[in-house]
Amino acid sequence: MSRIEQFQYDNRIVRAFGMAAFIWALVGMLVGLILAFELIYPSLNLSQLGIPYLTFGRLRPLHTNAVIFAFVGNGIFMGVYYSLQRLLKARMLSDTLSWIHFWSWQVVILCAALTLPLGITTSSEYAELAWPIDLLITVVWVLFGINMFGTIIKRRESHLYVAIWFYIATWITVAVLHIVRSAELPYSLLGSYPVFAGVQDALVQWWYGHNAVAFFLTTPYLGIMYYFLPKAANRPVYSYKLSIIHFWALIFIYIWAGPHHLLYSALPDWVQSLGTVFSIMLIAPSWGGMLNGLLTLRGAWDRVRQDPVLKFMVVAVTAYGMATFEGPMLSIKSVNAISHFTDWTIAHVHVGALGWNGFLTFGVLYWLWPRMYRTQLYSVKLANMHFWIGTLGILFYAIPLYWAGWTQSLMWKEFTPEGTLAWGNFLDTVTQIVPMYAMRAFGGTLYFVGACIGVYNLTKTASSGSFLGDEAAEAPAREPKIAAVAGEYWHKWIERRPIQMLLWSAVLISIGGIVQIIPMVFIKSQVPEISTVKPYTPLELAGRDIYVREGCVGCHSQMVRPFRDETVRYGEYSKSGEYIYDRPFLWGSKRTGPDLQREGGKNLDRWHYDHMIDPRVTSPGSIMPQYPYLADNELDLSLLPAKINALRKLGTPYPKGYEDRAIADAQAQAQQIAQRLKEQGIQDEEIANTELMAIIAYLQRLGTDIKVK
Amino acid sequence: MKFAKYFFIFLLLSLSSAVWGQAAQAPAPAGTDLLPNIMMYILGIAAAVLFIVAMIYVVKVNQFLYKRVLDLEASKSGVQLPEAPETVEVEADSFLTRLRKKYWEDAVPIEREHEILSHHDFDGIRELDNSLPPWWLNLFIFSIIWAGLYMYYYHWGGNGPSSAQEYEMAVERAEKEQAIALAGLGQQVDESNVVALTESGDLSEGELIFKNICAACHGPSGEGTVGPNMTDEYWLHGGGIKNIFRTIKYGVPEKGMISWQAQLTPKDIQKVASYILTLQGTNPPNGKAPQGEIWVEPVAVDSTAAPEATPEVQ
Repeated sequence: MSRIEQFQYDNRIVRAFGMAAFIWALVGMLVGLILAFELIYPSLNLSQLGIPYLTFGRLRPLHTNAVIFAFVGNGIFMGVYYSLQRLLKARMLSDTLSWIHFWSWQVVILCAALTLPLGITTSSEYAELAWPIDLLITVVWVLFGINMFGTIIKRRESHLYVAIWFYIATWITVAVLHIVRSAELPYSLLGSYPVFAGVQDALVQWWYGHNAVAFFLTTPYLGIMYYFLPKAANRPVYSYKLSIIHFWALIFIYIWAGPHHLLYSALPDWVQSLGTVFSIMLIAPSWGGMLNGLLTLRGAWDRVRQDPVLKFMVVAVTAYGMATFEGPMLSIKSVNAISHFTDWTIAHVHVGALGWNGFLTFGVLYWLWPRMYRTQLYSVKLANMHFWIGTLGILFYAIPLYWAGWTQSLMWKEFTPEGTLAWGNFLDTVTQIVPMYAMRAFGGTLYFVGACIGVYNLTKTASSGSFLGDEAAEAPAREPKIAAVAGEYWHKWIERRPIQMLLWSAVLISIGGIVQIIPMVFIKSQVPEISTVKPYTPLELAGRDIYVREGCVGCHSQMVRPFRDETVRYGEYSKSGEYIYDRPFLWGSKRTGPDLQREGGKNLDRWHYDHMIDPRVTSPGSIMPQYPYLADNELDLSLLPAKINALRKLGTPYPKGYEDRAIADAQAQAQQIAQRLKEQGIQDEEIANTELMAIIAYLQRLGTDIKVK
Repeated sequence: MKFAKYFFIFLLLSLSSAVWGQAAQAPAPAGTDLLPNIMMYILGIAAAVLFIVAMIYVVKVNQFLYKRVLDLEASKSGVQLPEAPETVEVEADSFLTRLRKKYWEDAVPIEREHEILSHHDFDGIRELDNSLPPWWLNLFIFSIIWAGLYMYYYHWGGNGPSSAQEYEMAVERAEKEQAIALAGLGQQVDESNVVALTESGDLSEGELIFKNICAACHGPSGEGTVGPNMTDEYWLHGGGIKNIFRTIKYGVPEKGMISWQAQLTPKDIQKVASYILTLQGTNPPNGKAPQGEIWVEPVAVDSTAAPEATPEVQ
């Protein structure tokens, strides 16, 4: 028997991450609420007053980033820093490193909160941040990795518990995802173009985006569940075997499922099918986690009635189970044909975010705070109230949106017997579901109120107790070499070897991405060439970047799917060869407004002018924000040469020396548009030098490269 | 075991209904349509099985909770509940129990869980060595088989349609249905035979369409904004019911007027064109300056007799 060692757990860092999680949760939810109300009252965008920072397009990425990386991110670190120390019987490797990690992560979040409303975005969902921030994230993640693996190396516990398997897989996978997705070529201090274009960019994006859900919102939280749920319930984990099988199966299969975000798109069929079948195969591994959580509560269900911590956890795990069943169902092509681009997706992700991530975090916080402050929870009654208001909030959020998504999709697809669209005017399908948006906003408000009650309760708990910053603990030192015990389970071998664990995780999570992405990037025939497709003109390029800046992609797709209703409504369905110069790709994942892939030439320049100044002039009842400032902002073309150079380096065939002519070219095209507008009745001498010219140029170009029937 | 019984009955029922549906549909589709149906049935059965699993689970939890609550309430109020008779399992598992343990659920009961409890603990957390829930394992295996079949059918050997083929099939089917529907409606209105409607019902429907879609460019009273004024006697593409009908139907894409034939039925176009004619001379405020040429209805043209005489205006 080795010597008993005395040491202390660091609770201060846990408290810091916990508080940050809660503060950012409120911020993220508040931004979400603002967005929900903007969809009902477009004047809340404030852009009609010339304030560009709060439009739906710019705030939406702020909401998703705040919830994913600020709220859940800090929640992950809180859970990891608490459980890792205790599961390894060791203090974190370095307190200094812990605090550098904490503060640099908050700096990342602050940068995001500043840049996104300013319109500095790459437009790739959950990877919107500018390249310098991407670099900072990489540094933070490496620091976190050093701190975590350093602690693992100096552990006193010889075997790694299942929670730590999940932490390790999370760390390596997020690192790989972040590096590949952030591969971009800067053209200015904050601007960059991705190295992948069009359909490849789309594939890489959803390989990344889907696995941000998998390895940021799911696996670390499963690890947290494996620690905090048995602790809170004081029950043994239901099945060790199940945790082994579902862990390895989950991380291997998850990585393949990304293409289910691109079903019926211009992505080749074989990649789409892989996305579908791996999503279906994902049900059981996902449910393995749910089962191990819920069945751990065998014999403790009576306590679920009384203990708000367990209540939160049970609903969290149940929401996880529902979302991971729904996800695969939505990945079946015939279901996806209905659900995709509608609010169904929004409802689906919020069952996961509000139910699984939100409620598990609340449960953990309610369990942690009294322990770290050595006191009782200030009010069990308030915690119960939070639980019920939150649960109602989730229901009021999700159900109306399921309804809205289903309704809108059926309206899109409905034909009259004579063969015309029953709802030819897209706007009719929007105004139809605005009441559902109002219900959703009500649900979101409930959830937010619940969270505020939670903050109050935890603050009161903290002030009634005394914080234990360094928690004394003792454990025997680790035996230097542990020999295998005869008859032990085969998996014990790798549980003693963290580096092997890391390597095998890395191997398993690489396979799916390699099989899907490499052929798409290197085999030319995967993206059939279309000779008429040409690079954007400089003015169109400038317009495209404004389109990216304003977050238009948040509500407008650029992907006509091969469905009869879509080809009748929008025009010929999209081909992968049309997108080869699109950096970034702008296919979008939600149609709050109509698809724009075939917008070019459909409406007069004058129509676009009127529609941008006030969408309700041309489209009464529209919920789009107004963009009058586009007609006031002077068009800044100074970056065009750098952009042209960057794009040429990435493969866009601009002739050599074109960067010198680009600005003059753009100005000439802007003059043409200004002239046309004049003919169409817009008397404004200054208009030729405004951003509006660029955006009109871009919109009028969209989808016109191939002959439209 | 009761659940197992219900489960098998349900499974049999869903299977038989699947076969039934297959038989009922058999005469209509050709051979190529058969396989997607099978895929759909497999999927349907899978969904049914999943649903049953979830339901049984809910029932079980409910029963368990109910018993707990009962015990709890009893101990609170001090009532002694009659003890359930101590069941000593001496007999070997019945056939159904064996079946259940093999394919369905095989958890070690809580009373005996010390037998499978790990000796080691992680910060107080211990693990049970329950076997993988059989239904879960079966679900996993089934999903893997399904994945193989799916890939075979669509890519590796079967003749499943590609997305593009699915689209072509859908369009072809729709065109046939449309032809049948149109045949049922008798003579279709088109630009060669259209006449102006005068019934007030038709005109008010036309007005509704106009307000909904045309007003955006031509103004709510037809005074013209982006698009030309509809209330004066000047026309860019010809006045009169036939020309207006044709302009609405095919559009003038190069000038921003889109084609409406995908969104409006011929009857609808007739109604809105007739309504537009009633705007002539209404002289609303803010009227846009005239564009095009003065349109004079050719006197000699009899709309039923000589449709080809409609003058072409470019």
